[in-house]
Amino acid sequence: MRYKKIITDFFILMALTTNISFIVSPNPYELVITVAANLAATILKIGEGRVLSTEMLASSLVADLHLIPALFIYFIGDQVEAVGLAQGALAANVISVVISIIETVLSAFTEEEE
Amino acid sequence: MPRLKVRIRRKLRKKREPRLIEVYERRFIEALKELRIPLLMLHFSLTVGTLGYMILSGGDFINSFYMTIITIGTIGYGEIAPGSDTPVGRVFTSFLALMGIGTFMTSVTVIVRVFFKEDIINLYRAIRMLREIENLKDHFIICGYDKTSAWLAQTLKKRGIEFVVIESKPEAMKYLQEHNIKYFLIEAPYKRPVLLSAGIKNAKGMVVNLGDDAQNIAVIATARLLRPSKEEFYIYSFASTDGTAQKLEELGANRAIVPNKILATRIAAYIFHTGSAFISDLFDRIAFGEETDIDILEIKVEPGSPLIGKKLKEVDLRKNLKVTVVAIRKPEGDLEVTVTGETAVEEGDTLIIFGQPKNLRKAQKVLLEGVS
Repeated sequence: MRYKKIITDFFILMALTTNISFIVSPNPYELVITVAANLAATILKIGEGRVLSTEMLASSLVADLHLIPALFIYFIGDQVEAVGLAQGALAANVISVVISIIETVLSAFTEEEE
Repeated sequence: MPRLKVRIRRKLRKKREPRLIEVYERRFIEALKELRIPLLMLHFSLTVGTLGYMILSGGDFINSFYMTIITIGTIGYGEIAPGSDTPVGRVFTSFLALMGIGTFMTSVTVIVRVFFKEDIINLYRAIRMLREIENLKDHFIICGYDKTSAWLAQTLKKRGIEFVVIESKPEAMKYLQEHNIKYFLIEAPYKRPVLLSAGIKNAKGMVVNLGDDAQNIAVIATARLLRPSKEEFYIYSFASTDGTAQKLEELGANRAIVPNKILATRIAAYIFHTGSAFISDLFDRIAFGEETDIDILEIKVEPGSPLIGKKLKEVDLRKNLKVTVVAIRKPEGDLEVTVTGETAVEEGDTLIIFGQPKNLRKAQKVLLEGVS
């Protein structure tokens, strides 16, 4: 069992699920947890992946760059705009999960080859 | 499904031989991996601190984040976040400080160390250099960097000829940087991806000076597989003996040179012409590029050239292009040194022209364009 992969995948999924829950019911704690999960996923993606590593990191950075401004905007008072940014981050997070699945499949093929 | 599997496998197999730049980029990313643990530690402390103060203050993110930063960053401006001045808040701040200050210091130290580590800086420089090499054209590749290569590099630099040095010994890096060599790769030169990364496909030629005949052979063989034509890609190699030189030329080198022999010949020339050292040395200096004001050029008269049948006085290169034809090499190999205005140019002749480098370049352009 690859523990590193479990932790990375956990945070990638966590980023997606918390993002969805914030959009469904906007709440300050939920937003902070979403940002924290996203940042953790980004850090874990540094150097992760063999085939689509750059794409994985890029999608995560996109999500971060939506959520960090959303965090400040939310606490300044514009909650509608914050939710809008979180929806943008959701798109990036969905792509991130899809890339992660493709990466896993491709890695399985290369491992079989070796 | 099995078909798809086979196709994906084939695609992946095609990617087996990565380019050097990709290998370096991967190594760079790998080196950045060291940042993950300190960053995660820092991130964890910030998240716990911010969430804790948010709960205490009833959701005030800005002040909670600020309070966390000033606590773990040992700034300590006071109990800014609402609720942090309560007994529960103080207990939380104490634990956060105990956990966070150490984490913050360790993380910052590790992050700074990773960024200033020699490997990362060198890898970044190498990646940038490889990108620049990709844009080079008509350059030379020098395999092996010793004192001879250093002299060669200096001469090429003086002439404005771009070159890439490939040296396998990491110790050479110090000298390469000291000698201001613009492009160099610390890799084994006989590897295909290394030669490709040095821009062999766009290069004009290569100098092989690895100090060992077996290694020279390996590099020449690999280079010739990538650039088979001797007319389009010149390989000059060093050899230890005449016999090896012959073998290297048969294997693909345009010219294999025995350094000791060349040195001995040159010294012998001085001995033979002791009375007229300057004149006997002049040709050598011109040929070796030591006489920067004068240069020598060979121009072959190809079939169809408008020069064929013309007398030298009709072409009048001296007046028109400020260069002088000093000799003509006949197709059968004889050298005619008594050229006059009456000498007629024939097909297959090679004109040996003397002049200033800029005039020679002009003459070459004019005479070669005349062919087409």
